Amino acid sequence: MVKRKLGALEKVEADLPNLQHKIRRDPKSYIEDFRAQHYQYESHREIFMAAPTSATDTGLISLRDLIDFISHVADCYPGICKDFPQQLIDMLMQHHLVLETELREKLVGSLALLKKKDLIDSAKLLHTLFPILISTPSKTLRALLFQKILSELRTANAKTTNHKLNRTMQTVLFNLVTSDRTSAKGLWAIKITRELWKRQIWTEAKAVEIMKEAALSQNEKVIIGGVRFFLGGDKEREELEDEDSEEEVSVGQVKHQLTINKKTRKKARVAEKAIKAVRNKERKKGNPNPLNFSALHLLHDPQGFADNMFFKHLQNSKSKLNLEQKLQVLQLVSRLVGLHKLHIMPLYSYFQKYLTPRQPSVTSFLASLAQASHDLVPPDVLEPLIQKIANEFVSEASAGEVATAGLNAIREICARQPLAIDETLLQDLVMYKKSKDKGVMMASKGLLSLYRDVGAQMLKKRDRGKEASMSLRAGERPERRYGQQEAGEIEGLELLAKWKDEERRKKNIENGLPSDAEDNEEENDEADWAAWNVEEDEDSDVDGEWINVEEDVDIVLSDSEDEGKPASKKAKQDEETKKDTEKEAEKPIDFMKLATTRILTPADLAKLTELRAQAAAEATLPGNKGRVAAPWTSRHTDDPLTAGEIEGLAALSAARATREERIAHAKEGKTEHMSKEARRKERKVEQGKSSTNKEKARKKNFLMTLGKARSKNKRSLVETRAVLRAHVDRGKRGGRRGNVGQ
Amino acid sequence: MGASSKRKKDKQKDFQKPKLKVGKTKAKPDNYTDTSFKSKAIVLTQQSLHLAAPTANAVFTHNLSLLNAKSDSQRRESLAYLTTTISSRPVNSPLPQPVSVILPSLLPLILDGSTSVRTQLLKLLRTLPPGDVEDHVAQLLPYVRAGMTHLAADIRSSAVEILSWMVEAAGESTVSCAGGWIKTLNCFLSVLGWHTEESSQWSSSRASFGKSGSQGKPMVKTLGTLAKFLDAGIGNPSISGVDSEMSGDDESPDWPFPLCQTAQHMISDSSTPFAYLNLFGKPRDEEGEMYETREDRYRVFSTRFQSAIERGIKSAREEGGELGRASSGVTKVLKEAIAYGPGP
Repeated sequence: MVKRKLGALEKVEADLPNLQHKIRRDPKSYIEDFRAQHYQYESHREIFMAAPTSATDTGLISLRDLIDFISHVADCYPGICKDFPQQLIDMLMQHHLVLETELREKLVGSLALLKKKDLIDSAKLLHTLFPILISTPSKTLRALLFQKILSELRTANAKTTNHKLNRTMQTVLFNLVTSDRTSAKGLWAIKITRELWKRQIWTEAKAVEIMKEAALSQNEKVIIGGVRFFLGGDKEREELEDEDSEEEVSVGQVKHQLTINKKTRKKARVAEKAIKAVRNKERKKGNPNPLNFSALHLLHDPQGFADNMFFKHLQNSKSKLNLEQKLQVLQLVSRLVGLHKLHIMPLYSYFQKYLTPRQPSVTSFLASLAQASHDLVPPDVLEPLIQKIANEFVSEASAGEVATAGLNAIREICARQPLAIDETLLQDLVMYKKSKDKGVMMASKGLLSLYRDVGAQMLKKRDRGKEASMSLRAGERPERRYGQQEAGEIEGLELLAKWKDEERRKKNIENGLPSDAEDNEEENDEADWAAWNVEEDEDSDVDGEWINVEEDVDIVLSDSEDEGKPASKKAKQDEETKKDTEKEAEKPIDFMKLATTRILTPADLAKLTELRAQAAAEATLPGNKGRVAAPWTSRHTDDPLTAGEIEGLAALSAARATREERIAHAKEGKTEHMSKEARRKERKVEQGKSSTNKEKARKKNFLMTLGKARSKNKRSLVETRAVLRAHVDRGKRGGRRGNVGQ
Repeated sequence: MGASSKRKKDKQKDFQKPKLKVGKTKAKPDNYTDTSFKSKAIVLTQQSLHLAAPTANAVFTHNLSLLNAKSDSQRRESLAYLTTTISSRPVNSPLPQPVSVILPSLLPLILDGSTSVRTQLLKLLRTLPPGDVEDHVAQLLPYVRAGMTHLAADIRSSAVEILSWMVEAAGESTVSCAGGWIKTLNCFLSVLGWHTEESSQWSSSRASFGKSGSQGKPMVKTLGTLAKFLDAGIGNPSISGVDSEMSGDDESPDWPFPLCQTAQHMISDSSTPFAYLNLFGKPRDEEGEMYETREDRYRVFSTRFQSAIERGIKSAREEGGELGRASSGVTKVLKEAIAYGPGP
C-alpha cells in the first residue's frame, strides 16, 4: 500500500491553537473534534478532581491548555459546554488554595473570557471572584483578581450605568465592612470603591456610605483608608479627569507619518485608533459635564458621622491610632464641621491641649482648628483658643516661624468667625505689622486687611484705611451679629444687571429716545425669550475662554493715578455716553429685582459667566483701583486648609533661610531670561528637529566657502544671469525638490 | 590637521604591545568578563555510594521513580526493566511492590508523547496479574478515556489497545465502575466519529482534525475493542459466561445443608463492596453513575447508543474490506445482546 501523503497540519501531533482557529471559522464541521476535546477535558478534570493537590502535567496536553481551548470556543457550542462555566467556578472555589499558580490564573482568565462571551453574567463572575479575593493568601492571585473585578465593573458600566450590578456589589462591600469591624478585610472594599469613585463609575451616596462605615471601623488600616478617601478621593477624581483630557494624539502627525514610513497594517491601525479617539473626544465635548457631588456632600448624616468619628477615634482613650493617623481623622472631622456647619462642642476643648509650639506638627492642628470654625460657632468657645494661640505663639520672644504660624492661624479662624477675637487682642496683634521678620509682618498685615473688610470698627482709627473708614462713616457697614445670615444671591448678578442696563440705553440712543426712557417691557421680554438659547458662535466663544479685557484700562504701569490721558483720546460723543453711564452707575441698581422678577435664560447665564470672568481678569490687572481679592475670599468652601498655608511666609524669615534657599525662592515662578535665539533653539530641540539650512550655511568652515566665493567673483554676466534666474525659478517651485506634488 | 593626527594616535594605540612586568599579574583584556560569584553555602548533592549492591526491591523502586524522567529513552528502559522483573519473578510469588503503588506512576504514561513508551507500557500492563487490576479499573479509566479522545492519533490507538487489555483482564469491573459505561461508550463514538447522523456520513468524517484515526488499521482495532466492550457490558451472559458465577444458584455447594444463602452474608470478595453507595465521593450525575447490572446497562444502551452504533456499523459494513469484516464482529455481539433483551 502506498503511504498516504500527510498535509503539514496533520503531522502536528497536538495542536490545539490550530484546531481553535479552524473551529472559529467553521464550527459545524469540527463539532466531532470539539466533542472529542471536550471528553478529553472531562477525563482530565476527573483525574484532577480525584487528586487536586498532586495533579501533574500529563503528557502532551495539560488541563490548562484544554480549559483555555474550550473557553475560547465555548460560544460556538453552547449545548456541549453548558456545564463548563459552573465546573470552572467549582474548581476555583473549592481548590484555589492548593491549585498550581498557572492553572489558577488560567481559571480566572477563562472565567473572565466566558463573561466576555456572555456565557455567564457579571453578577455570577463577581460572586465567584470576590470571595476568593478576600480569602486567598496569594499576593499575585489577589492582584489578578482585583484587576479582573475592576475591569469587569468598568465594562459593565461602560455603555450605561448598570444600576443592578452596582447595587449588589455595593451591598456586598457594605456587608464586608460592617460584618466584622475588627478585620482588615474591609480594605478590599475600600480599594474597589476608591478606584471606581476615581473613575466616576460610582458616584452615588451608597459608595460614600461604604466609606463612611469603613471610617468608623475598628481596624486602623481600614479607618485610615476610609478617612483618606474623604480627604483625597475627589481630588484624585479631578486629577484623573484632567489627565484624560490632556492625553492627546495629533491626527495630523499620525497621518503624516503614515505617508512617509513603511505602510504596515499595524501603523494603519494606530492611525485609525487615533482618529477614533479624537472623534470620541469631540463627541464628548458636546455632552453636558456630569454633575458629580463630592463625597463630603453626599454623606447622609454628617453630624452623626462627625460625632462618631470624634468620640470613637479622637476623644476615646482606647483608640489605637498614632499621631499621624489621628491628625488625618481630625482633618476629616474639622472639614466636615466647617463644610456642613456642624456643632461638636467638645472638639474645641480637645484642641486646647495641642496648641503649644512644642507639639509635633502643630501647624496641622492649627489648620484643623481653623477649618473647624465657622460663623455659627459661638464666639466664646473660640475666644479662649485664640487667646491661647496668641499667648503661646505670638510674642516678641518667640521665633519668627512660630509667630507667623500663630498669626496665620488666628487670621484663618477669624476669617470664618470674625467675632471670635476681642478688640484689645486684635489691636495688639496688628501692631506686629512693624515686625522686622518678614513672615510675621506679612501675617499681621493679612490680619489687618481681613479686619478692614469684616470689622473695621474694631481696629484703631489710624489702622482702618481710607476705604474702610469712609464706608464706616457712611454707615454702610453695620456691625455683624452672631448668627446673622446674608440673603442668598447669585454671584455676579449685579454685573449682569449693569450690562443689561447699558444695552437698553444703547438701544434707546439708537432709536433716538432719551437714554433714560423706559422702553416697554413686553418688547424687551420678547427679545429675551427669542434669545432663550445660547447661539452656537457665542457658545464657542465662551468655550474658547476668550475674555474681553476693556481696551481703555490703563495698562501702563504708572504710580500716579490720574486717568486723564486715555479719556482725552476718546471721541466726544463717546465721552458723553460714558458720563451718562457713570452717572447712572452711581444710582444703586436694583439688581435684586432682576433675580426676583425675571427668569434668567441660558443666554443670560452664559453672559453672566462671561462677565464674571471678565471682572476677575480686570481685577488682576495692574493700575486697577480695586484691591486684589484677598486669598480667603477666593477660596472655595470645598478646598481644605493645609498646614502649609498656616506656616505661610515663615520661609521668608530672613534668619532661617540660607542664601541658596532665598535665591531659589526668589526665582520661583519667574522664567529665566533667554535670548530669542536660545528660545528658538530650545523649541527646536523640543520638537526633535535639527538645524536649518541657514544655520548650517552660517556655521560652515570658512576655508570651505573660499573656493565658491572666489569663483563667484569671476563669473561672467551670462553665468550670473543664469544663476539669478535659477534662484527665482527655485523660489517659485518651492525649493530644489519643489512642492508641486504634495 | 588636528583631528587626523589625533586619530592616527588613537589607531597606533591599538597596536601597541602591552608591557608585561615581572611580579605583577597580566592586565585583563578589554572584553574580560568577571565570572566569579559569591555564595553563602555550597551544597553537594547527595550521592548514595554503598559497598553492597542494592537489593532487587530497591532497584525496582528506583526504576519506578524514573518513570517520570524527562527523557523518552529513560522512561522506556525503566518500563522494560519493570516488565522483565515482573514477568521473570517466580510463579505465585507476590509483586515487588503492590499494584496500588505501581499504578499511579504508570497512569500518566498512557498519555505519553512517545510511541515506544506507550507500547512498552502496554507490555508491562499485560504482565500485571488480572486479579489485582480489577480493583484499580476506576483509576485507570479516566486516563484511558483521555487517551481515546486525544488529539494525537497514535495516543488514541494505543489507548484503545489498553482498553482492550482492560476488558480482557477485568471486563466486569470495567463496564460497571463509576462512569465506565456511558462515558466510555461516548468516547468510542467520538473516536469512530459516529456521534451524529451527519458525522457518520463519509463526506464529513473527512473533516476530522489531526492525523485521521478513522482510516485503516486503527479503525479496525477500535471496532474489535468495541465488540469486546459491548460483549462484556451487555453480552448474553449464558453464552459469554461472564456472569456465570453470579447467575443466582442460591445454594452454593460449599455450604452444607442447614446453611442457605450464607454466601450473601459473608465478607465480600471485592475491595470496595460499597462503592455504589458513593459515601465519600462527589455526587455523580447520570453519566458518571455506576451501572452494575446488565439490565441497567442494557437500558442505557438501548435508549442512548443503540441507534448511533447501528447506524455506524451499517456505514462501516458498506465500506467493506477489513473494516467491514471488523464491523461484523460488533454486529454479532449486538444481535445476541438484543436477542437476549433487557434480561431474564
